[in-house]
Amino acid sequence: MTERNRRNFIKATGVGLLGGLAGCTRGGSNGSGDGSSSDGSSSGGSGGSSTDTGTGSDGDLAIPLEEYQSADIDWRQFEGSQINIGAVQHPWVSAIKPAVPVFEELTGIEVVWNVLPEQQFRTKRQTDVSTGAGQFDIFYMDQVVNQFREEGWIQPLDPYFNDSSLYDEEWYQPDDLFEASKWQAHGGGYSDTWTGIPITVEVQTQFYRTDLYEKHDLEVAETLEQFRQNAQTIHENESDVVGTVGRGQKGYGMNIYILNTFLREYGAELWTEFPSDSGLDSEGVIQAAEWYTSLLQDYGPEGASTQTWSDVLATMQEGRAGHIVADANLFWPGLTGEDSQVGDNIGIAKAPKPADGTFSPNAFNWQISTSKNASNSEQAFLFMLWASSQPTNTWMHLENEAAFSVRQSVWENDEFRSRVGDDFAQVTLESLQAAAPDPFDRKYPEWGQRYSEELQRAIAGQKSAEEAMTRAAEVAEDIYSN
Amino acid sequence: MSTPTQTETANQTALGRLRDLWNDYLPYWFMAPMVLVMVMITFFPGAYDLYLSVIAEPTFNVFEAEFVGLQHFETAFTRGGAFHSFVITITVVVSALALETLLGFVLAALVAGVDSGRMKGFYRVLFIIPMAVAPVSLATIGRLMLNSEIGIIPYVIETATPLAAPNFLSEVPLLTVILLDTWNWTPFMFIIFYAGLSSVPDTLVEASRVDGAPLWRRYVHVIIPYMKPVVFVATLIRLIDLFRTFGVVYGLTNGGPGTATQLVSINIYEQMFINNQLGVAAAIAIVYLVLVVALCNIIIAKVGFEGVWD
Repeated sequence: MTERNRRNFIKATGVGLLGGLAGCTRGGSNGSGDGSSSDGSSSGGSGGSSTDTGTGSDGDLAIPLEEYQSADIDWRQFEGSQINIGAVQHPWVSAIKPAVPVFEELTGIEVVWNVLPEQQFRTKRQTDVSTGAGQFDIFYMDQVVNQFREEGWIQPLDPYFNDSSLYDEEWYQPDDLFEASKWQAHGGGYSDTWTGIPITVEVQTQFYRTDLYEKHDLEVAETLEQFRQNAQTIHENESDVVGTVGRGQKGYGMNIYILNTFLREYGAELWTEFPSDSGLDSEGVIQAAEWYTSLLQDYGPEGASTQTWSDVLATMQEGRAGHIVADANLFWPGLTGEDSQVGDNIGIAKAPKPADGTFSPNAFNWQISTSKNASNSEQAFLFMLWASSQPTNTWMHLENEAAFSVRQSVWENDEFRSRVGDDFAQVTLESLQAAAPDPFDRKYPEWGQRYSEELQRAIAGQKSAEEAMTRAAEVAEDIYSN
Repeated sequence: MSTPTQTETANQTALGRLRDLWNDYLPYWFMAPMVLVMVMITFFPGAYDLYLSVIAEPTFNVFEAEFVGLQHFETAFTRGGAFHSFVITITVVVSALALETLLGFVLAALVAGVDSGRMKGFYRVLFIIPMAVAPVSLATIGRLMLNSEIGIIPYVIETATPLAAPNFLSEVPLLTVILLDTWNWTPFMFIIFYAGLSSVPDTLVEASRVDGAPLWRRYVHVIIPYMKPVVFVATLIRLIDLFRTFGVVYGLTNGGPGTATQLVSINIYEQMFINNQLGVAAAIAIVYLVLVVALCNIIIAKVGFEGVWD
C-alpha cells in the first residue's frame, strides 16, 4: 500500500469510471459502472434523424447497394415512410450510424434515432410499450424480454420471416448467427418465436498477466483448480498484486453473471423445473458459489463484495491483479489499450472449468425488437435484417471499430482477425460457439436481484455460500409461487 | 322580443354579477394559481402513486387498468423487503440525526468561543465545505478513501493506531453510511446552531456569569433553553431530509452488502427500476409517505408547540 499505488489506483479508477459511464452492462444494480458502454455513442440526445452521410470522400455509399439488392426482398415497398429507433448509448449505435444512409438509400425509409442513457432508456421503453403509445418502431431489448413478451408488448418476428417479400433466407444466412445468440433471441428458451434480432454479444473469457505467469512459471489455467492455484501463487509472492479480482457487487449484471458460468460448468442449471424449482440450492450451484466466494475471499482484494465490473477493469489495468474472468468484448480494448499500464502483458484464454465439467461461458446479447403497438413494424423488420446482415456486420467490424459481432463469419474474417488480434478473435470465437447465455425468465430481474444479494452476503462473509444459495432458492421460488 | 334598452340592462346585470363574483371571492382568485401549481406538483403525483399501487400495470387508458386492491402492499411487506428497509432507515435517521445535532452544536459552541474574528471566519468556511460536495461525488470519494487496499482512512488508522482497520463497506456498512452522512451534513447543523448562538443576548450570558454559573451551567440553563426553537427547526428539517437520503448511500454501497444498507428510498428505486415492480414501489412509497408525514406532524404537535413555542 504505497503512495504510488494509491495515486495510480485513483487515476485508474477515474479512467475506469469514465469508461464505465460509456460502457455496456447487462443492467441490474451496480455501483459506479451502471450503464453504459465502453466508447459511448455518437448521439446523446433524443430525436433527430441521422445526419451522418455514410458516404466516402467521392460521394459513394459506405456499403455498395448491390450487396443488398441481390437479395430477393422488396426493399422499397415502404418507400417514403419513417422508423423511430429507441437505443441506449452503446458502441453498436456509433458503429452502425455512419452506414444508415445506405439503408435509407436502399429502402427510401427515413431513420430517426432516440439515443438515451441506459436507465433513462429503460424507463422510456417501459412507458412506451405498457401504455401502448408505440413511439418506438425498434428498441433495444435485454433481460426483460420475457416479461415484455408475456405482457404481450413484443411483436414476434416470425410472420415477417415467413413473408417472402420481407425475407430471403439464402441471402440473410441465419445459420451464420451464433446458436447462443439465436437462442437468446427466442426468449432464452422460453419462446418458440423470434422476439427480436441479436445485434451484439459479449462472452466471458480469462485475462491473465503474461509477465507474472512467466515470472512464476505458471501455465494458463484450464480448470478452476489451476485458476485458484495460480491466484494463490501470485497473491502470496507478489506485493501490491492480488491473485484475482471479480465482481462481488449485487445486481444481475454483476456477481451472478460471472457465477452463472461456473454453476453451469459444475453441471447445475437454473430452473430445473420451472417455476417450482429454481435449482439454486442444488449441489452444483452451492459448489460453484463456494468456489467463487472462497476464491475472492482468499485471493481477492479487501472488500471484494463491493467490486463492480469497472473496479475489476481498473484493478487489472493498474496491474494489481494476476488474472480475471470477464467479458472479452468489453474488457479487451480497455486492458490492451492506452489506458492500461499492463497493455503489453495481457493474455487471453478461454474461461476455466472444473476438471470434470463442461466448458460453458456466459454470454450476453443486446437485441433489437419491435412492439405490437408500433405502427411501422414491417419497416422495422427490414431495418433489423439490414443491420444484422452479413454485409453491414462485416463493414461495421472492418471499417468502424466494432468487435461484438453475432455472426461467426466476422470472427473468421482474416482482415478482422488481423485488426483485433488472432488470440482475441480465436478465443472469442470458440467461447461464443460454446456459450450458454443466462435464460431470462419473465421475473428474472426480480429474483436475479435477490439471488445476487445473497451471493454478495456470502462474498462479504456474512453467511456461508450454502446458506446464501439456499435462501436465494427460497426467494426465487416464492416469487413464482405468488 | 327584447328592446335594445332591455338588452343593455341585461348586459349590465351580467357584468355586475361578474364583478360581484370577483369582489366576493377576491382572496380565492389570488390563491387560485398557487393552488393549481400545488395540485400539479403535489396532489397529482401523490394521486398517481396511489393509482399505481392498486392496479396491475399502468395502461394508456386509466379506466382499463386492472384493479388489484392491496396486493402490492402485501407483496411489499412479504417479499419486497419493506419492513427491513424501514428498520434500516430509522436506524440511519436516528443515529445520524443524533450525531449531527451533537457535533453541530459542539462545533458551533467552539467556534462561537473563538476570540479572533478572522479565525472565526476561517473555521466557518472550513466546516461548511463537506456540505458543498454533491452526493455522487461524496460517494465516490468515500469509496476511494475507505478502500482497504488503497484508501487513506484505513492507512491512517493502521499507521496511527495498533488497530487493524475494518473493511468499512463490507464489515460495518451501516456504521459507514451513518458516519459519511454525519460528515456530509454536520455543517448544516453547525451553521444554524452558530446563527442561533449568535442571537443569544449577551446580557443573559453576562448575568449568569455574574451569578457565578460555570460554563456548562450557562449552556444548560441559559443558552440551550433560549435556542430551543432553533434546535427544533434544525432537527426537524434535517429529520425530513434524512428520510429522503438516497444518492450518497446508493453510490457508496448500492444498498448492500446484500440489503444491509437498503434504505426505503433505495428499495423503492430497486423495485421500480430494477425489478420492474411499479406497483410494489408505489405501495412502499405511499406507506413511507404516510409514516413520515404522521411522524413529523406528531413531533410538531407534541414537541413543537408545547415544548418550544408555547
